[in-house]
Amino acid sequence: MAKKAFITGITGQDGSYLADLLLSKGYEVHGLIRKSSSLNTSRVEHLLVDAFVPERKFFLYYGDLADSARLYNLINEIKPDEIYHFGGQTSGKEGFELPEYTGNINALGTVRLLEAIRRTGIKTKFCHASSFEMFGASPPPYNENTAFRPRSPSGAAKAYAYEMTVTYRESYKLFACNSIMFDHESPRRFETAPTRKTTRAIAHILAGKQKNLYLGTLDPVRDWGYAPEYVEAMWRMMQQEKAGDYVLGCGEGHAVGDWVKVAFDYVKMDVDKYLKKDDRPHATGGAVYTADAAKAKKELGWQPKVNYQELVKIMIDADMEAVGLKPPGEGKAILTKYNLNTIDRASGNPNGGLEEWPGLRKYNI
Amino acid sequence: MKKALITGITGQDGAYLSQFLLGKGYEVYGALRRSEEMNISRLKFLGIDSQIKFVPFELADIINIYKTIDRVQPDEIYNLAAQTSIRIAFEEPGYTTDINGIAVLRLLEAIRSINPKIKFFQASTGDMFGKVQVMPQNEGTPLNPLNPYATAKALGHWTTANYREAYEIFACSGILFDHDSPLRIHQSVPGMISNAVAGIKMGVQDKLILGNIEFSRDLGYAGEYVEAMWLMLQQDKPDDYVIATGETHTVREFIEAAFNSVGVKLEWSGKGLDEKGIDPKTGKIRVALELRFPSVNPASAAALVRSHSGATKPAQGDYSKAKKILGWEPKVTYKELFKIMVEHDLKHASNKELRD
Repeated sequence: MAKKAFITGITGQDGSYLADLLLSKGYEVHGLIRKSSSLNTSRVEHLLVDAFVPERKFFLYYGDLADSARLYNLINEIKPDEIYHFGGQTSGKEGFELPEYTGNINALGTVRLLEAIRRTGIKTKFCHASSFEMFGASPPPYNENTAFRPRSPSGAAKAYAYEMTVTYRESYKLFACNSIMFDHESPRRFETAPTRKTTRAIAHILAGKQKNLYLGTLDPVRDWGYAPEYVEAMWRMMQQEKAGDYVLGCGEGHAVGDWVKVAFDYVKMDVDKYLKKDDRPHATGGAVYTADAAKAKKELGWQPKVNYQELVKIMIDADMEAVGLKPPGEGKAILTKYNLNTIDRASGNPNGGLEEWPGLRKYNI
Repeated sequence: MKKALITGITGQDGAYLSQFLLGKGYEVYGALRRSEEMNISRLKFLGIDSQIKFVPFELADIINIYKTIDRVQPDEIYNLAAQTSIRIAFEEPGYTTDINGIAVLRLLEAIRSINPKIKFFQASTGDMFGKVQVMPQNEGTPLNPLNPYATAKALGHWTTANYREAYEIFACSGILFDHDSPLRIHQSVPGMISNAVAGIKMGVQDKLILGNIEFSRDLGYAGEYVEAMWLMLQQDKPDDYVIATGETHTVREFIEAAFNSVGVKLEWSGKGLDEKGIDPKTGKIRVALELRFPSVNPASAAALVRSHSGATKPAQGDYSKAKKILGWEPKVTYKELFKIMVEHDLKHASNKELRD
């Protein structure tokens, strides 16, 4: 019988890639989505099938990480073999706007899931998607032994969720893992992340839908990898004999400014002509975060292949295609070279033309 | 310039109300729930998305509510946000109660402590009458909610009244009966009918399948209902008002109206679940009945059947108070509404974003 997976956050970048991966491995995939007056399913649109097709392998359920009873009922009903938990309020910046909600969903939402698993008594494996945000003020290197010193509501909530995952593993012998993921990008990345904002802006400028690219500080150094490789590592964690926690990252740091330069160079555009300074206060300064993913390499045999220059090209190609332009095309060649997902469509509304997520630009916060 | 803060701005009513208030010269602040996708397709469709000032908003987060109201300092708040699906309310009663009911308390508490002069509109629903005892229903009719959605809405409704009485906050509830439009939510029954009729007309769909076509609805046009919301907040005194058409029609009549709008005079034959709606010109079956629900999880079907069967009499709104005091009266008949919706669906059938 096909293995069953339950994914929270399936409408996001990681959840949707994991759904692709698991369906390709023959899994039955069940996903949790929030009720909304618009369908927010563009990232999994290619997987949607009519609800009455009996042989379908992809299922969506309305639910909310705030609702314990619903989570319990769903897990009890689906009886998944593996649960992947990506759902949450993932924006660091918005964590400051929604501190209570961020704590409720990111921190307590994880406990609600763990508790639901424990109460049902179902032998299911659990993997929590955690983040380097937990390290906050800790000095490098950043590996599984580094102390958490989160300095944001979302980082603090993630750290709590991480520790509760470990607690349930040790106290109740649940197979529960944490993946401590460094930045991972793709054409399905949220449109206001500086990486995607840049690649999308280039496509929109070329298509005449947008004039400028607004970015804040270009100094922060980040460790960027290609998202589908990261969710594959999470699947590998679930296939181990023992549950554990793993840092996932490329181990290379580059400044946001480098990303922007590589991107504009790729399409032979003059960055200075289009880049405008967004001078609103930003939460982080020039911090340097790069992963020490030695454990994942040793135990999972995992090593990301796509480097950041290649990632930029993959994303620009997809963003250009989404607005009907012919991309330079190196991105496709890179995906083929590494034998990775070659049908990668850009998420979001290509007709948007918004220079920034409306909540941030128009109301100056 | 007056400032209005609208929750539920991405939905049908939020879009029409925004358009209406912008037309009145308001500065419109759109309370937007954080999501990985920008769900502003309805505002884009009306061409007003760039005129709205969006603010990150979450009804579950009291800190965020205080911060937002404090920062925006609106003159009027329209609370249109809710978990609006009855089916999902049975699956997620806790979440539904929190967002539809308790969140109203959070908003009113914030108003009370930040600025009690802020006027507040609460979107209540005719569904609160549930198992109706009196025909038709007005502002004095006892509530008898039959599902978690309506129960939570009743909590929000009573809370609004409490804050009006206890703290003299200008808080009004509009008891809105069903209202649809081309911007309605996906999978509303009128929406399914209109979509299917457009699809059949264009030859991309064979027939419309529904479960129960005998139940009745008091159905109006959403574009008109938002004006009543605004009118309530412009009166000398705050109060509750029923907003409805005062007429009920069966789903069968809705189907006939929708087909009529594309020149098909549907004929019915058969009984019970075997009944079929036939286009006499072609002899093709265009409507069939089947006990299936447009559900991501069919487990709730039983609960839905229970909720429908409980409502023995149709809810029918008596809007005479709104007519007398607000001077509000619905103009669009259900037949016209289906004409508007089918025309829209024919025009935008290829635009998936608007059809969702």
